[in-house]
Amino acid sequence: MNRRGLHPWLIAPAILAVLAIGLSIGPVPISFFHLSATDKEILFNLRLPRVLSAFLVGGGLALAGAIFQGLFRNPIADSYLLGVSSGASLGAAAAIVFKLASPLASFAAVSVFAFGGSLGALAMVFYFGHRQGGFSIFRLLLSGLGVGLFLSSLVAIFMLMAGEELKALIFFFLGGFSSSSWDTTWVSLACIPIAALTACYYAPELNVLLLGEETAQSSGVRTGRVQLIFAVLAALLTSISVSVAGLIGFVGLIVPHMIRLSCGADHRTLFPLTFFTGGIFLVLCDAAARIVIEPAELPVGIVTSLVGVPIFLYLIRNESSDLG
Amino acid sequence: MEATRALDVRNVSFGYNSWLLLKDISFAVAAGELVAVIGPNGSGKTTLLKIMLGLLSPNSGVVTLHGQPIAALEPKARAQAIAYVSQQPAASFPLTVRELVALGRYPHGLRGSETAADRVAIADALKKTAATELCDRQFNTLSGGERQKVLIARALAQSAKILLLDEPTLHLDLNFQLQILSTLKRLCVDEGIAVVTVLHDINLVSLFADKALLLSGGELRGFGPVAEVINEASIKELLDVEMKQIAGHESQPRYFVPRHPFS
Repeated sequence: MNRRGLHPWLIAPAILAVLAIGLSIGPVPISFFHLSATDKEILFNLRLPRVLSAFLVGGGLALAGAIFQGLFRNPIADSYLLGVSSGASLGAAAAIVFKLASPLASFAAVSVFAFGGSLGALAMVFYFGHRQGGFSIFRLLLSGLGVGLFLSSLVAIFMLMAGEELKALIFFFLGGFSSSSWDTTWVSLACIPIAALTACYYAPELNVLLLGEETAQSSGVRTGRVQLIFAVLAALLTSISVSVAGLIGFVGLIVPHMIRLSCGADHRTLFPLTFFTGGIFLVLCDAAARIVIEPAELPVGIVTSLVGVPIFLYLIRNESSDLG
Repeated sequence: MEATRALDVRNVSFGYNSWLLLKDISFAVAAGELVAVIGPNGSGKTTLLKIMLGLLSPNSGVVTLHGQPIAALEPKARAQAIAYVSQQPAASFPLTVRELVALGRYPHGLRGSETAADRVAIADALKKTAATELCDRQFNTLSGGERQKVLIARALAQSAKILLLDEPTLHLDLNFQLQILSTLKRLCVDEGIAVVTVLHDINLVSLFADKALLLSGGELRGFGPVAEVINEASIKELLDVEMKQIAGHESQPRYFVPRHPFS
């Protein structure tokens, strides 16, 4: 578990430290030791849901990336690059534009439509990216790119059609965590840990699947069932993340990659470490997004892209022989 | 004879719609036997292996492992009885050799930490394939021959008494080809494991295999002791290649060299 240096016991203090940093940042300075009634209000009803949301979404996106990478046996698969995030956006946009659900009145309902959208996108990527003998990353990423662009175009059409819902839609797609409240946080709190625990439970099966479908089947893994479970889990994690915070790229790419480098590819340790590190990473990115151009805020997706794209390009440059 | 039958294939046919890839195949493999499957590309060798593994269900006929129909076995129970080394390149992720071999313990319930039995089986599998010293290396960094040893070790860690391999010598240099086949032969003789492997090299078949199974166009063209089944005429019929037998007395292996195809 700690064979290459990153010790799991460091994770818990790191989480606490980062949550404390996240809670202490904001336009109103707060002393944790002398909390006034207003301070408590700010801390528990504004900052805590924000920091918790960022942590859960970061963990969820990173875990979704790790799942996709294991499922497609390739280190550069990720819900953003595979177009699954775009599918979630389309589902949410459809729900808002057609007044099936409002992000303000019923956040959970919007999440359900986002989930439907991400499952649909994943099914399309599976369909176009698969050939006999498995998935080539070339075909997979091209399919993801195509599906993502197509679905994003549909989202744009929905925005043009939106009329009086446009404001709600723009508010939704601006994303980030500035509008986080307990209303949005409870959905993540209810779903993301359960999805994460389920993924951890099935980690041994995904380990065997790294050896290829035939070998996994001959080892006694019910491959079809396991692949379906992971596809649904990754779609669920992606859609909740998109519903809470809009499109945030590259968390699912770089966090699992770094954990794999330091702790190896065994999903039994990779999944929990990726989840917690993803959470820490996004809380820090959100903190940076709040500080950099104070008093205004950067969308957190810009921060993750600024960090993530150079790492992504580095991966392509240095690991092309392993990318299939 | 019945009791020593590890694997029994009875009247197996397989195909899609009216197109039959395998036609009425029957043979049995005893414990401790090394059987080589030979045939031209597209003759149904890999399909036959998948049916023997229970990954494909035959349209008709039955496969039994130690007397039990394979279709009646749960996937994990099946994997405890029969293991497989496929042709596919495995794992592009940074797994160490030991981690990869440990995956072979999955059918025995490897979920949390390893049991004493797991550790013994893993160490044993690494030892039998002479891969112990590779233990801490990253699988990705190994040569083709070393990888094949490790993949065989992973299959051995399943502790199954039947081992199927699809062209285990593919892309390997001659030294590794001989190492791999010597390992398989030792498993048969020392452990009583029944080994069925697809091979293309007639001379390796002649050197190592007890029996040969000749497959062409989805039909069984011959099955029996190598000395009886493999000869110039059967090779010509099976592979459409003129070969000359250049040595071989009663108990010695025979060698075959191709005649010049254009002379």
